[in-house]
Parts: sequence; structure tokens; C-alpha cells
Amino acid sequence: MNPLALLLTLSSLLFSLGLLAVLTRRNAILILVGIELMLNAANINFIAFWRYGPPDPELTGPMFVLFSIAIAAAEAAVGLAIILMVFRHTRSTDLNRLDSLHG
Amino acid sequence: MIIPLLILTPLVLLAALGAVWKARPVHAALLLALSLALVAVLYLTIGADFIGLVQFMVYVGAVAILIVFSLLITRPGDEAEEIQRRPRSMVTGLICTLPVLAVLLIALVKGNPESAPAVDAPPLSIAHLGELLFTTHAPAVLAVGVLLTAVMIGAALFARDTEKPKSNQPEK
Repeated sequence: MNPLALLLTLSSLLFSLGLLAVLTRRNAILILVGIELMLNAANINFIAFWRYGPPDPELTGPMFVLFSIAIAAAEAAVGLAIILMVFRHTRSTDLNRLDSLHG
Repeated sequence: MIIPLLILTPLVLLAALGAVWKARPVHAALLLALSLALVAVLYLTIGADFIGLVQFMVYVGAVAILIVFSLLITRPGDEAEEIQRRPRSMVTGLICTLPVLAVLLIALVKGNPESAPAVDAPPLSIAHLGELLFTTHAPAVLAVGVLLTAVMIGAALFARDTEKPKSNQPEK
């Protein structure tokens, strides 16, 4: 197995684990954990293709990862602020209890 | 080059598995931090030094710590309840996740990355990266700056205590 195949397999498994966390967790904060895992899987793909793909003087892969990390940080900050606000209103971060919009 | 990767890859996956599996939220968050730190080490190993350090600072230093602090502020859920209803949610989760994994792996096998020629890209030059960031990608850098400012203001507004809006107004 060459490094590219190994990293792409790692990225696929990491993405699936993140998706599993998003689908099975009830705590809103732990769903964010799953989202961070999926974002990381995507970043690993970019770095793997930059490092083991054809030479790229424009550094597209690392550049994309830099912006992706910045946006992931922003997303986590806003997501957690929203979760904390919801917690102040309902005293819970359990998504099963947040059903006031349920018809 | 492949040996450190062969050691790191299972460690990253084990830490991520723990983050998905652990019922106690703080353990899950700390295992996520471990997994992200190991990915940073992986970046350092394959020559993307700057990205590895950024990953370490932003993900491990900021995002993971933010998640841990949110868990400290909010009330932890009922662990026993979480464990009790886990079998059902796990079955549903796996039914949805395994097809996604299958599609990803089929695409991977069909793409046949084994046949890729072994190229040894030069290590990431930070000077070159910085030059590109502030020439070709300058508009994007500015846009990210605006985004982060908006996020900072937005998060502060969200986090403000809305239940007692009059408490922080000056008395007349």
C-alpha cells in the first residue's frame, strides 16, 4: 500500500466515524465533535493529493486546508455559542428535548 | 516514509473511534483532541509542517478546548440513558453510515491510487505559501478576516445574557 492509498483510506474511515457520531449522538456538543472529525477527513484528502499527486507550484491543497481550518474554527465558535444559548433557554443540550417546533 | 504513517493511521482511527464511542462527553471531547493532535503529527510527518502547526494551534488549541469548556458550562446528559438507548441508535447510525463508507471505499479502489507514480514533492515552503496568500489569495484572506470578525461579534451577541437585558444598562 502506498502512502496516498493509506491516507485516502484513513480519510474515508475518519469521515464515516464522524458521520456515525453525528447520527448517533444526542448531545448537541458531541454532534459538533463528529462534524470536526468529518472536516478533518476532508483536510487529510487535500494534503494527501497535494503531497503525493503531481507537483503543484500553486499549493492549492495546503491553501484550501488553511482556509478550511479558519472556517471550521468560525463554525465551531458560532455553533457552540448557539448551543449555549439553547442551553440557557431549555437547561439541556439533549437534541431529543428540543422539539418545540415539532408539529 | 510509509512506516510512521502505518503507525499513526491506526492511532488516529482509535482516538476517533473513542470520540464516537465514549458515553461520557468529556472523554469523547478529549479523545477528539487527541485524534486532531495525531492528525497534526501526521501532517508534520509527511512534510506539511506549516499546516501541521496550524492544525495543532487552531484545532487542538482552540476548537477542542472550546468544546471542553462548553461541556463544562452545560449540564452533562444522563450517561446511563445514553448507554441504554445506544444499541438502537447505533443500528440506525450504522445502516446510514456503512453505505457511505462502502461508496467511498469503492471509489477509492476504482480510482486505484496504488498506480499513482511515486513523486517526491518538495516540502512545504512557508515563504512561498505566504507569498501566495498575500498575492493570489489576498481577497480570500480579507474575506476570512471579515468572516472571523463577524463570527466574533455574533458569538458575543449570542453569548450575552438575554434573560436580564436591563441589568447591564446604566442607571439614569
